[in-house]
Amino acid sequence: MPTTGRPEFDAELRAGLAVVGGMFPPTITPGLIDFMRVSYASAPVDELLRERGIGRRDNVVPGHRGDPVEVSVLTPPGRAPDRPGVVYAHSGGLMFGDRFSGIDLVLDWVDQLGVVLVTVEYRLAPEHRDPVAREDMYGALVWTAEHAAEIGVRPDRLLVAGASAGGGLAAGLALAARDRGGPVLRGQVLDYPMLDDRGGRPSTGQFDGVGVWDRVSNETGWGALLGEARGGESVSCYAAPSRATDLAGLPPAFIDVGAAEIFRDEAIAYADAIWRAGGDAELHVWSGAFHACDIFAPHTAVGQSMIHARNAWVAKICAD
Amino acid sequence: MQELLGRISRLDPSASLGLRVIACFDELVVGNVNTRALLAAAASLAGCVAGFQQDDPERSLRVGPKGQLEVGGGAVPQDGAEAPVTVPASEGIVVWLERTGPSLPNDEIILERLALAVRIRHGRGRDQDNRRDLGILLDPAVDEGERAISSAALGLAAGRPYRIVAAPLFAVWERHPQAPEDVVPTVFGPLHALVLPADHPVPEATPCGVGAAALPAHLDHSFRTAVVALRLCDPATAPRVSADDFGGLVSLLADMPPGSPQPDADRIDTLRDHGWVAPTVDAVVRSSSLRHAARLADVHHSTMQARVDVLSEALGFDPYDGLGRARLGVAYLTCRLRSSRVLDLPAPQV
Repeated sequence: MPTTGRPEFDAELRAGLAVVGGMFPPTITPGLIDFMRVSYASAPVDELLRERGIGRRDNVVPGHRGDPVEVSVLTPPGRAPDRPGVVYAHSGGLMFGDRFSGIDLVLDWVDQLGVVLVTVEYRLAPEHRDPVAREDMYGALVWTAEHAAEIGVRPDRLLVAGASAGGGLAAGLALAARDRGGPVLRGQVLDYPMLDDRGGRPSTGQFDGVGVWDRVSNETGWGALLGEARGGESVSCYAAPSRATDLAGLPPAFIDVGAAEIFRDEAIAYADAIWRAGGDAELHVWSGAFHACDIFAPHTAVGQSMIHARNAWVAKICAD
Repeated sequence: MQELLGRISRLDPSASLGLRVIACFDELVVGNVNTRALLAAAASLAGCVAGFQQDDPERSLRVGPKGQLEVGGGAVPQDGAEAPVTVPASEGIVVWLERTGPSLPNDEIILERLALAVRIRHGRGRDQDNRRDLGILLDPAVDEGERAISSAALGLAAGRPYRIVAAPLFAVWERHPQAPEDVVPTVFGPLHALVLPADHPVPEATPCGVGAAALPAHLDHSFRTAVVALRLCDPATAPRVSADDFGGLVSLLADMPPGSPQPDADRIDTLRDHGWVAPTVDAVVRSSSLRHAARLADVHHSTMQARVDVLSEALGFDPYDGLGRARLGVAYLTCRLRSSRVLDLPAPQV
């Protein structure tokens, strides 16, 4: 079958894929969810935290319908009462990963920018369908705002952030906080976010079987979350933020995405919709980047640039 | 990436991490990336600082596992530190890994590949062929004498037949035969190639393609047939394919220039939307009569007749007449190769 062209991966990243492909296959079918839960589980984190002088306190907070949800509050070295706070949603396609997956990158915010990071063990699909994950996240956001003083966070320096599936959850949180009169947010960091269950954009079908997270993987993820409802009329914009028709009144958004990944077009469209609504969005489209390449290959020039640009934005928004 | 390598070997203790290191540097060399990028990859794979020092003009560079530039230092140790073991990359250029504590199993291959990649990047490796013996042996563009030298270096007997086995890097090996092996670049990306004696049983790897038997002088052809066989694999139904199963057909396909016109295959492709086409064509090429085909496809013969009629109409010939089945066979294999996704196959379940 003739395939349409697709942007090439950057050479350093292509080399990285020779390693990444062994633990994160390009195409994830429902049969691979168990494999991914093993291969993408986070490595033990406590030694890393100790080395970086980061404190950790685990709390149980009320999630969807008040169910207990575990969060870890990660605090920078030293004491200060008024720090920026970030509520963080991890990556893993809504089906795997845990609250420490890909955490390295956001730890920079903790020990370099003095952020208090609340990372959330939202419940995973397919065992838990929509709205469990997003309402677990919302519960954690409300808890963070209500306990701001206790965990040393300035209530007017609160951000939401997430990567991939977590980026979609973070975008949904910002919409929900606006619509429900929830905590006032200072910003939203959406790293290569998973925003649209409907697929259908050109980039969605451009990377079948290559890189990280292709069209089939995406259908697997949305299918796990939404079941039969995927792609239909009934899906909430808090689950799939691309469906939101009103993007006015949102906190400033930082959106980054690879030019060589399926989420390219939905990320660009989301930034564009924010601008059209008169909002503030900063969009970075990284040439040659596959999905989440900064997590898998942070040593590369592209990975470094992504990390640097993102950290600079977070510093601009919330550092004193 | 050191952490990722650790994950891979926990998921599959038999996985060859060395091959992944080789494939990684092969891509960096093909991509002609700069010294910083080469050092960053080495440091990331090793989990410690990688260094580079050039005498003339004097230049040194040290890069950490997260790609960060490390300040100062060269091959000369800092106070109290032990001097790292340097490896010559070229005249006046050395590279090293700053491993504290005992060296790790992959250090040697990482350093070797780093040194080679640095030499090529600095233009000093261009006049010599830096490919490894198996890559030379499998390349028809290399003259026979040179291939014979590589064949001997691999320990192959000139008068004995062998087969090449081709597999993607993500293939799962139930048992890994002891044999000359390497990562070889192809138009389909780097592939894992092994040389086995012709009478060796098919290796228990999924997916893999086994090439036609050939004397060492003709193993380039065996490799091409192995790649075709690999691309004919189907994860669910045919995890291992031997070129021998298709006789001369795979040899023909292996040596067909890419993109050469295939009108019969194009015509089958126009019928792709019909779900019955693939099983019907498969049954027809394997059968001696329409009724036989109907049995193979498990449909009523009148259904088979109707489908073959549609097929004949689209193809413009009757598959049961004259050379019809041979034509259909070639067209069918061509279609399967065009739509092959086996090299994109995800890693299997644990």
